[in-house]
Amino acid sequence: MTSSAIEATGLGKVFRRRGGWALRDCTFQLPAGRVSALVGPNGAGKSTLLALAAGLIAPSEGTVTVLGGHPADVRPRIGFVSQDKPLYPQLTIAETLRMGADLNPDRWDADTAERVAAGGGLDLGARVRSLSGGQRTRVALALALAKRPDLLLLDEPVADLDPLARHELMGTLMATAAQYGTTIVMSSHVIAELEESCDHLLLIGDGRVRLAGDIDDLLAVHSLITGPARETATGADFDLAPHTTVESRITGRQVTALVRPAGPLPAGWQTNDLSLEALLLAHLRNPAAPPLALGPASASASPTSQEATSASAIPQEEPA
Amino acid sequence: MTAVAPTVPSATRHPSPAPRLSRWLLRLHRPALCAWAGLVVLLSAALLWLGGPLTDASAAAWEQYNACDGASRCAYDQPSIIRYKEVYSATTFAVLALPFLVAAWAGATLTSRELETGTAQLTWAQSVSPVHWLTATLALPATLVVAGTGLVVTLHHLAWSAGEGRIDTAKSWSDFQTFYAGGPLTVALALLGLVVGVLVGLLLRRSLPALATSVVATGGVFAIVHTALPYLWPSVTQVRNRVQDAPSGAGILVDEGILTSTGARLPNPYCGSDVFPDCRAMYDKLDAVGYYRDFHPLAHYWPLQLVATALTCAIVAVLVFAAYRVLKSRTGGAPRGASTTV
Repeated sequence: MTSSAIEATGLGKVFRRRGGWALRDCTFQLPAGRVSALVGPNGAGKSTLLALAAGLIAPSEGTVTVLGGHPADVRPRIGFVSQDKPLYPQLTIAETLRMGADLNPDRWDADTAERVAAGGGLDLGARVRSLSGGQRTRVALALALAKRPDLLLLDEPVADLDPLARHELMGTLMATAAQYGTTIVMSSHVIAELEESCDHLLLIGDGRVRLAGDIDDLLAVHSLITGPARETATGADFDLAPHTTVESRITGRQVTALVRPAGPLPAGWQTNDLSLEALLLAHLRNPAAPPLALGPASASASPTSQEATSASAIPQEEPA
Repeated sequence: MTAVAPTVPSATRHPSPAPRLSRWLLRLHRPALCAWAGLVVLLSAALLWLGGPLTDASAAAWEQYNACDGASRCAYDQPSIIRYKEVYSATTFAVLALPFLVAAWAGATLTSRELETGTAQLTWAQSVSPVHWLTATLALPATLVVAGTGLVVTLHHLAWSAGEGRIDTAKSWSDFQTFYAGGPLTVALALLGLVVGVLVGLLLRRSLPALATSVVATGGVFAIVHTALPYLWPSVTQVRNRVQDAPSGAGILVDEGILTSTGARLPNPYCGSDVFPDCRAMYDKLDAVGYYRDFHPLAHYWPLQLVATALTCAIVAVLVFAAYRVLKSRTGGAPRGASTTV
């Protein structure tokens, strides 16, 4: 399918040394030409997923198709920046970029490489050994961007940058990506940054897909609602069925719940503004919440994907 | 902008170029390359010195000594004889240490450190496949190791030959250090050290443990080859009767012992000559009629060298195959046809 940049089916990876599955039974599609966020708690398998997509490790089970082919076959078209930004410490920045040119003979864009690397006022003659974490990130990104990849896989790309540099580098990244129509998949902990730059989301936890889809669609099918903890008439505990409850918390007589409404909400419940951060946190706090995969390209028959079609039909509760 | 002009040469616009990894391997391992070149030059110079002036001086000293013909006072150039022996021992030791040196370096840096720091993955994230990377990582150092060791071993052989028959205390060809240091077997062992280092690095993925393991593993294979060596070519048997005493001769010993009247072979009791009553009684009791000795004469020098080299190269080939298998099982690689995975 040309519309998906990454397509995984039953993808799993076990690390014998760490003694367990880093990723298990992952089925998802990430759209081409978009900026996808890969989110999950530490150890969720984000780095494993990106390394699998980059063709750096072999899956233990399942398959992953990247840009319509096996990751190893499309290696020249993939850019990858790993979390720890490995570079050769003995080389200068200029040498590192020259190496990028030699190792990517067909695709190298020297101007982009220099622009990104020198953007932070870096001296290209400086040895990589002497660079700070943020400066290394800049060089690693320069190496990945100058390859003019069709797909750019970034693992925690700007985690060790100060806010100003982060903003500046994300700007460069997005501008370059837009210029070449690059698909980006990036993992990050900084949710604010994702909200700004990403339009698609893949949340994984315990090695499995928890939430997948367009950020706007995902926000649309969830509602953050507040209502009484007990039915005033019957005195019975609140019951949100048939809506899917992701999380509910009782404070005093009030319940605040994140639900995926299956229809009109009962009277007496009011809807609040839902932020991406609240959506993600609720899912991260509740690993037992049923997974949800949205999107037109979604081939996985998720039991809850029915909700996607009914999302637009849900009437919004009027504020009381 | 103009300050950064030298970064990319126009050569990046090749028509259909392959990634040029080799020049970066040379750049990344420049200190090791310089050290290797320096070591080879130094050792070559020492061996040329040994085979030329030192051999001549020592041979002249032995002529002086032999001219004295056992006289109680004899003036001869003893320091030259000692210097020859010392330099011969030192250079022979250095040549024999090369496979271990190569193993230590390869184990510590070539693959283990790259995987440990993630720079191998950085290379694979460019347009370089892991298989291409491993091929370059093996081929380029292998060429340099074979060239350097080959030169040194040839010079050692020449230096040893120069002293043959002229220096009374020169080592025999069957002296194991001399046998190894002057033949292609050491070149194969150096290659083995390299391949062991690369494979161990792929398996352990940590620099220091890989260094130690590579050196120990190379020593292990060295020991196997050394143990197998006498059996790699049919030996020659020497037989003596009891009056003649046990045969003692040059060459590489395979087996020795006593022969009974039935022709059976018994282990040598290492008693001594038949003239001693105790030994005579023991030989009688054992029904010994003579002695045998299986050994390799000088004529077996090249057959032994070549077969042992071939054996070592076969082990190298197996280890190279294993290295590719390990890498492929870890990185997957591109399957032919359907993209099914394990």
